[in-house]
Amino acid sequence: MIVVNGVSKSFGDILAVDNITLDIKKGSVFGLIGTNGAGKSTLLRLLCGILAEDAGTVTIDGERVFENIAIKERCFYISDNQYFFSNCTPNDMRNYYADIYRKFDKNRFDSLLQSFGLNPKRKINTFSKGMKKQVSVICAVSAMTDYIFCDETFDGLDPVMRQAVKSIFAGDIADREMTPIIASHNLRELEDICDHIGLLHKGGMLLSHDLEDMKLGIHKIQAVFNEEITRESFPSLEIISLDKRGSLYTIVVRGQEKEAAAALNSKNPVFMEILPLTLEEIFISETEVTGYDIKSLIV
Amino acid sequence: MITIDYRSREPIYQQIISRIEDLAASGLMSADEQLPSVRSLAVELSINPNTIQRAYNELERRGIIYSVAGKGSFLAKPSEAVREQKQADYLESFREQIRRAVSLGIKLEVLLGLCEKYYKQAEGGASK
Repeated sequence: MIVVNGVSKSFGDILAVDNITLDIKKGSVFGLIGTNGAGKSTLLRLLCGILAEDAGTVTIDGERVFENIAIKERCFYISDNQYFFSNCTPNDMRNYYADIYRKFDKNRFDSLLQSFGLNPKRKINTFSKGMKKQVSVICAVSAMTDYIFCDETFDGLDPVMRQAVKSIFAGDIADREMTPIIASHNLRELEDICDHIGLLHKGGMLLSHDLEDMKLGIHKIQAVFNEEITRESFPSLEIISLDKRGSLYTIVVRGQEKEAAAALNSKNPVFMEILPLTLEEIFISETEVTGYDIKSLIV
Repeated sequence: MITIDYRSREPIYQQIISRIEDLAASGLMSADEQLPSVRSLAVELSINPNTIQRAYNELERRGIIYSVAGKGSFLAKPSEAVREQKQADYLESFREQIRRAVSLGIKLEVLLGLCEKYYKQAEGGASK
């Protein structure tokens, strides 16, 4: 379990991460979302002990991460711009990582490289950008670490590879409770794999929630009524927004689907439809309360 | 057997629940048949195993499946309560259909006639 307690980090006079507190449970998949410059990469680098905190603490299972070899051996960080030694081949990288990570599984590396169709003896600098990403991912999962930190790793992969990598991750989460922490600026990318999402904005954490709870706890209803409807018509419901276009009402409600449906049905709607919200819409609704214009923040 | 629509707005968790409920209700899976393991389903669908575990837990809570420690999850015998719930859910969605029919201006006699016709057809098909 990763515990981040009041962590801040600045570079010169730029405050990149501002007093962030969050928990990441083992075996969950944590998605970090935010625009460019929101502090995603800095937070990731703090989490895996590459950067030292200016204030606060980052601990994994109770121990501080920074400069702690025993803990860092359990973390693998896939950087946004990965570094490979000049003129090296995937095999060279395999041998290098096998020296550093004691649990590194060379057989797994070889078989993954083969199934991804990458030549182990070709120089990495002749690989395309996406192929380099694949090599990094293969290194990461072969290192058999408890935590994998992915900095926009999925963004450079084609859809087929993305599914393949997600599938490998899924297997490792089930088998050995691997915990991926995935930073991205693309909400859709995170929607089907993450179970917990943190939204970063200007170095601060706007919210951090369980994804399914968010999805099941909020509903969008489109309905047509014979009478005029206001928020006061449904005293039992927690209405987040109520919009009227023509005769069609769009109501966003917090709470259980059944209760919402029952309350609205009592007004005898001419037409009614309950739609699950997309992650984007949830973020818009959740953050409107805090006064952020989220529409300009997410892609 | 269990498929997911990645572009659907319906949460994956709910999609899995309704697929398995449908499999059980339609008789495509019989009682005591083993469900795919959490791991294999996660790898196959490229989704988070925690999501699947959660869906299985919910199905177990509803009495649709049961799990045996160390062996996996199995389909439970359809109970009366589950059946009643299914029927109630269906009737609720039926109400929606009728509402739509009314808004399209379809006459009650036409609906009743079709109801009878389709019901008999379906009954005849089921008994064969």
